[in-house]
Amino acid sequence: MASLSAQQLAANRGRLFKDRAARYGVTLGGIMVLVALLLIFFYLLYVVQPIFRSVDLTEEQSFSLPNSAGVKAVGMEEQAEIGYRLMSSGELQFFALHDKPAVERKAGDIISGDQVADAAKITSFASSLPVSKQYAYGLNDGSAVVLQPKFGVTFAENSETGLTERTITPRIETLNNGDPLVVDEQGQPLEQLAYDTDGEAMLFAAVQGGNNLLITKYTAEENFMTGEVTLKPIFSRISLNGNIDDLIVTPDLRQVMARRGNRVHVFDVGTGGDVTERELMVIDSREQGNATGMYLLAGASSVLLTHDSGLISQWFQVSTDQGRKYQYIRSFDAGSPVENIEVEYYRRTFYTVSENGDLGIFHTTSEADLYRGKPLEAKLQNVMVDPRANYLIMQSGDRFSVFDVDNEHPEVTWSAMWQEVWYEGYPEPDYTWQSTSGSDDFESKFSLVPIAFGTIKAAAYAMLFAIPIGLAAAVYTAYFMSPSVRKYVKPTVEIMEALPTVILGFLAGLWLAPVIERYLPGVIAILLLVPAAIILTAFLWSKLPSKIRNTVNDGRAALLLIPIVLLVGWFSFGLSPWVEETLFDGNVRGYLTNELGISFDQRNSLVVGIAMGFAVIPTIFSIAEDAVFSVPKHLSNGSLALGATPWQTLTKVVLLTASPGIFSAVMMGLGRAVGETMIVLMATGNTPIMDWNIFEGMRTLSANIAVEMPESEVGSSHYRILFLAAFVLFIFTFFFNTIAEFVRQRLRDKYSSM
Amino acid sequence: MISVNPGTSNLEKLDLHNLPAEQTALDIKNLNLYYGEEQALYDVSMRIPNNRVTAFIGPSGCGKSTLLRCINRMNDLVEICRIDGEIALHGQNIYDKKVDVAALRRRVGMVFQRPNPFPKSIYENVVYGLRLQGVKDKRILDEAVETSLRGAALWDEVKDRLNASAFSLSGGQQQRVVIARSIAIEPEILLLDEPTSALDPISTLTIEELITELKEKYTVVIVTHNMQQAARVSDQTGFLYMGKLVEYADTDTLFTTPAEKQTEDYITGRYG
Repeated sequence: MASLSAQQLAANRGRLFKDRAARYGVTLGGIMVLVALLLIFFYLLYVVQPIFRSVDLTEEQSFSLPNSAGVKAVGMEEQAEIGYRLMSSGELQFFALHDKPAVERKAGDIISGDQVADAAKITSFASSLPVSKQYAYGLNDGSAVVLQPKFGVTFAENSETGLTERTITPRIETLNNGDPLVVDEQGQPLEQLAYDTDGEAMLFAAVQGGNNLLITKYTAEENFMTGEVTLKPIFSRISLNGNIDDLIVTPDLRQVMARRGNRVHVFDVGTGGDVTERELMVIDSREQGNATGMYLLAGASSVLLTHDSGLISQWFQVSTDQGRKYQYIRSFDAGSPVENIEVEYYRRTFYTVSENGDLGIFHTTSEADLYRGKPLEAKLQNVMVDPRANYLIMQSGDRFSVFDVDNEHPEVTWSAMWQEVWYEGYPEPDYTWQSTSGSDDFESKFSLVPIAFGTIKAAAYAMLFAIPIGLAAAVYTAYFMSPSVRKYVKPTVEIMEALPTVILGFLAGLWLAPVIERYLPGVIAILLLVPAAIILTAFLWSKLPSKIRNTVNDGRAALLLIPIVLLVGWFSFGLSPWVEETLFDGNVRGYLTNELGISFDQRNSLVVGIAMGFAVIPTIFSIAEDAVFSVPKHLSNGSLALGATPWQTLTKVVLLTASPGIFSAVMMGLGRAVGETMIVLMATGNTPIMDWNIFEGMRTLSANIAVEMPESEVGSSHYRILFLAAFVLFIFTFFFNTIAEFVRQRLRDKYSSM
Repeated sequence: MISVNPGTSNLEKLDLHNLPAEQTALDIKNLNLYYGEEQALYDVSMRIPNNRVTAFIGPSGCGKSTLLRCINRMNDLVEICRIDGEIALHGQNIYDKKVDVAALRRRVGMVFQRPNPFPKSIYENVVYGLRLQGVKDKRILDEAVETSLRGAALWDEVKDRLNASAFSLSGGQQQRVVIARSIAIEPEILLLDEPTSALDPISTLTIEELITELKEKYTVVIVTHNMQQAARVSDQTGFLYMGKLVEYADTDTLFTTPAEKQTEDYITGRYG
């Protein structure tokens, strides 16, 4: 060979460069796709993972406060800057929780304090639920002093640094100007006291003489002439046969509970202050052990009972035939008998202090045992949580320790999301998705099961509609249709795929749903009659004399079905009102609901099945058509040459060879149906229910994310669970598409060897 | 000159142009074929005798495969194809409106250029045609598999792995599976469309030997672009050129003393 000239070499170099650039460019592109995918994957995981993190406690400060032996209660404000303690002497003291060099304050320094009740007269003490955070001292003259620590927050610019600094000033507010309110008309000492308020009225429950229960309700009355507010009491007295151990007042001031050993008397308090005994809870001491204490959980729907076995049992009211009754729900094991329980302000988390000095952190609804251990070296005596549940104060003798607690998502556990959970007030454990409500007491219910179910339901009905039509159309187009017609049909169907689904959803929700509702018998008749009519027409066509049949090319014969389908449609809709009138008394919906017990929503699975099926058909059609069409012609010819009819060739050779491709088409369609958002969002009621009923709606993972993400607080459990839903969806579609692609790849290899 | 298969010379020579009806397997009369506006076959008439091997030769695009595919109506699958004229199979016109195409193809088997076994086992490939006819009896099927595979000279090679995929075989074996599949339904005529063009020389030889054996039971029509092959295996040869049947004669006559100038030019390699 002749040697290359310089020119040729230069040209060669250019070619090599282009080749290399193309190679690296393509590789880079491919890697970027993978990286993007991995980034999405890891970002989702990154947002989701905190919900599965366990509780983390870090000690921040530790200080001593003298005379802490007689502390009745400890508390702190939301910023965890200032704490307070109520002493048995009737004094309230504010103290610093953290060092604050700017004002030369150290943790443990007493900031201020005041005597709110006469030490000599104090016989009992009560605190309200953390939400209202009021305290009451019961006195020996049958009256009680109510007080509330308050914190004023001011912001001022520091003249030296120029920064805005926050100053928190504590003060004490007392009810009735510090004058005691009468709880016992007879003026006897209050041996035990329970107190709560709803902001307008106050309810006291007290024990006097061991077994006498006093219930006193104060309502504020405004004199409309002078505008002066006076508190007006209503007194009740009930004698129980036995000493009362514990008292609870619910913050809605409707119930008082008195525990007497293993029995809890529940009393209803009317708005007027009238008291009736509602029920008697009996604790099975063989199962749980003897009750030792009684506490109210945040939200005030649940009662926690501690037992000498170390168990804590949760009880709440459940609807029964005899009305709502307290019922044992579940129990938690703290290891050793619990001395004290502290509940959080809003969440259903509670903290236990055990006899052996263990701290336990539990969440009731998720049945989560979040923490158990000894955070202090000395024996833990008391634990206190701040309103935002970010800090804990632990007391051991005179020693106070401030802990930073990292417990963002106690209500979320894997089992709470995927298993039946018994929520407060529900008659039985259930799968519920109910993320928000108007009330603070509301407990979010994050079961992913109903929405995962909704996704599957929507996809199933869509596939029920799309698979037969999509596959039949694909097989017909690829195998029977004449190439000249196929040339137009295939791109037309594929263009349907580009139709924005919001339009489909819009049409489905606003046009199709009312039409289906109005012509229900007609729609059902169409779904049954159209396939029947098509098969009947095809059969009759094959029986026609060949002279007539030969006028139409085999590949175009399907076009003859168009008038048949239109005719059947017109017939079904035309007959619908008549059928409804004669067979169902003019009201199919009523018939379904009343006679068959099937509830009917206007935007239901039938609408979604049709609309989403319509969106999925092009996907299935396109891939399946390719699979059938790319079955090598020499295979089908081989079959035909053996005397097989086209139908035999189709079923015995073509479909067999194309089956992986058809499977892949169905998988792709399923992946699309699972991930589809707009149609299900617009064409269903988005009700997260678990029911296969075709006339009811559903809520899917994707629609759920679309609906709730804009309203969800960043970083909240709700937010992270929505990301988890997205993650599940991602895995779902990734799984289906990977299977489909894998099968397709294998199919391609197989064909290339044929 | 091309050597002619000595086996054929033993047969008595037939007067192909005045073949009596009882010796005629196929009678092609004035066959014209059009692909759309284009005419592919011009007025082809010929009689193909029973239990002989007839070869169609000619340059690429001369219409020899098209003519072959007319015999089992595979051209029906081409939408724009139109035919006039007549092909009589044992006296019956296969283009009659009453003819069931599937039944016709059962009587006229075909083997294609590329081996095209189905993606099934060897056994299932062979019994495919029988299963189509509704044969379910395991004994009959087993027997058919053995007979057909023996007939296709493949039995000894595959008898131990009948349930293996037909794709696991070599190209030549695959082609013999296809032949076995065709003869399993006992057709009257076997059409071979360049059956060895995708095969190696040894496989080709095996298939050629097989073709000579097959004519004991079947009328064989073979299309080949390989003149040596035509000379080796066939008893009569038709030479087609530009859609016309130029010459049709005994193989040794055609190859030794062609009557037409075009034939001579072709077999001596002037074009093609």
